Amino acid sequence: MTTETILEAINLTRQFGRSDSVVHAVKNVSLEIKRGEMVLIMGPSGSGKTTLLSMLGALLSPTSGQIIINGADISSMKASTLAALRAQKIGFVFQAFNLLEALTVEENILFPAQLSVEGAKGAKGRLDELLERLGLTTRRKVLPNTLSGGEKQRVAIGRALINRPPIILADEPTGNLDSHKGQEVMMILHDIARDDGCAVLMVTHDPRVEEIADRVLWLEDGALRDRKAEQHSWVIDPVCGMRVDEWTATVLAEYDGHRLVFCSQRCLERFKKEPGRYKNKSV
Amino acid sequence: MFYWSLKTLFAEPARLIVSALAVAVSFILVIFFSAVFEGEAEKMVVYLEEMEADVWVMQKGVSNMHMASSMVWDWKADKIEKLPGVKEISAILYLNGPVKIGGKDWFSYVIGISPEYPRTGPWTMAQGESMPGPGEAVVPDVISKLTGVQIGDEITMIDRPLRIVGFSKGSFSMASAVVFVSREDLGDLLDGTDQYSYIMVYAEPGLEAQALVENIKEEVNKVNALTSEEFIASDWQLAVQMGAEIIRMMTMLGTLLATLIVAFTAYSLIARKKHELAIAKALGFGNGQIYLAALSQSVVVTVLGLLFALLISFTLLAWLPSVAPQINLAVRPHQFSSIAMVTLPVAILASLSAARTVVRVDPMSVFHQ
Repeated sequence: MTTETILEAINLTRQFGRSDSVVHAVKNVSLEIKRGEMVLIMGPSGSGKTTLLSMLGALLSPTSGQIIINGADISSMKASTLAALRAQKIGFVFQAFNLLEALTVEENILFPAQLSVEGAKGAKGRLDELLERLGLTTRRKVLPNTLSGGEKQRVAIGRALINRPPIILADEPTGNLDSHKGQEVMMILHDIARDDGCAVLMVTHDPRVEEIADRVLWLEDGALRDRKAEQHSWVIDPVCGMRVDEWTATVLAEYDGHRLVFCSQRCLERFKKEPGRYKNKSV
Repeated sequence: MFYWSLKTLFAEPARLIVSALAVAVSFILVIFFSAVFEGEAEKMVVYLEEMEADVWVMQKGVSNMHMASSMVWDWKADKIEKLPGVKEISAILYLNGPVKIGGKDWFSYVIGISPEYPRTGPWTMAQGESMPGPGEAVVPDVISKLTGVQIGDEITMIDRPLRIVGFSKGSFSMASAVVFVSREDLGDLLDGTDQYSYIMVYAEPGLEAQALVENIKEEVNKVNALTSEEFIASDWQLAVQMGAEIIRMMTMLGTLLATLIVAFTAYSLIARKKHELAIAKALGFGNGQIYLAALSQSVVVTVLGLLFALLISFTLLAWLPSVAPQINLAVRPHQFSSIAMVTLPVAILASLSAARTVVRVDPMSVFHQ
């Protein structure tokens, strides 16, 4: 694996609304993804994962900050340039598959190839290779409505790969699949990162994926923290006694020279009222 | 995107056919009105054409037969007949007005003819006598089909009862029917037994009609002479002017209707495929490319509509005269070419309805389930 940085975000912020009603969906996020790396973004619902993915995929412009794809700063690019960049540099895989219903499997995979330099005709060789790799050779002429969920997601992956993009952005790619099919799709994406040298950035809730990821980024309340997939630091909430992962916890306090972790704001408030009662309960 | 737009369109053939048929209906309306108009305009000058005269002579200041009246002394006909270069003449009395046939008033060209000029009568007969005598009339066979009148039945010209003695063919239009009566009857009615309305002049072979016109104008006082071509063109022009505004309005309405139908089709296609357009945008397709895809769908629907319209129109135009003989239809290439010419603007205008939707499609919606 090379150490070439493919995707970089610097102090990325996205806010919605104005003045009093402003919401920071993503707040000062910086990250760097290298070629061949598989990175997960995890976090609770509404934490800003999709907003971050949309900005990194050049679908949504940040309120402030920079996004650098393959060495080019896309923050000030025009919409038409961004569209061309998406076609050439980014492959998308979505939770809902998002295949075009009137097109066959091979037509769906070839669809973005119209936007490549070689064109759809020039991508025929690549199509055969992808169909073979994704186990879709016998299904190449059928319409999406005859495919299983796993097959649909493999078609979507083929479509994402047809233009040989250096970055694959996947939004909950196993969200609509059973565990077996989900595992299959994950391994395909893992192989894409390992064998093709693509940078795969995936938003997911699926904890099983952590095992095959190179890095796991935790996004909560718009802010990002880095942790290893296998890293957990279990501590006890001194108020309710619940086990809390220090890596993912967001309610923290300093007391008497100790760092305390709480499961929720409610527990923190209760602690503040009677700190003496709870100070020795944290392990 | 073109391929996607066509496959999407043809993926729902029933919807496509219904849309194309709706477009076809509006085009058929335009073709039908145009055919009726052309047919009626042609029938209004059919008598003038069938007479095959070289020159028409009429009262000074008159240059039409339709909606006109003309009186020329009969001695002037004799004088014209004797002019050098004149092979022969025919003359008629003429009146336009309602004739009651089968209990209904028919606006008619009433032609008063006499055996002296036999070629002024009906050019084709369906049944009965072609030369009406006093108290007799020859009426179009279409009126017989429509009202059931038979030979021997009575009709009324102004206040004068006449008896049908024959039915002529090709002499009917909705705007005017050609009714032949005797010159005596019409002369008596008009108080013009020693007058004619129009004199048809046939030139000696080799003599230009225009030269004959000049000669007649020079030799005979207080008459107007026109070559047959000029006279027919003048009458046709008058007929066209009378209906042109209505036809133009109908054509505009038909075109507008077609545009609205194609616009609705294009819009509904795009609106239903908004999510797929969002996918295309997310994958890197631009607004321009997506709009062209929408335009190609509009063009396909419009062209299909036009083809259906032509097919249905030809079938209808062939079948209609057998069930509605009173309708004169004339189909000319320019009618179809003008419809074909509006096809592309219709498609472009209609696709504009989808353009706004295309621009507003949010590629972020691909993240929604």
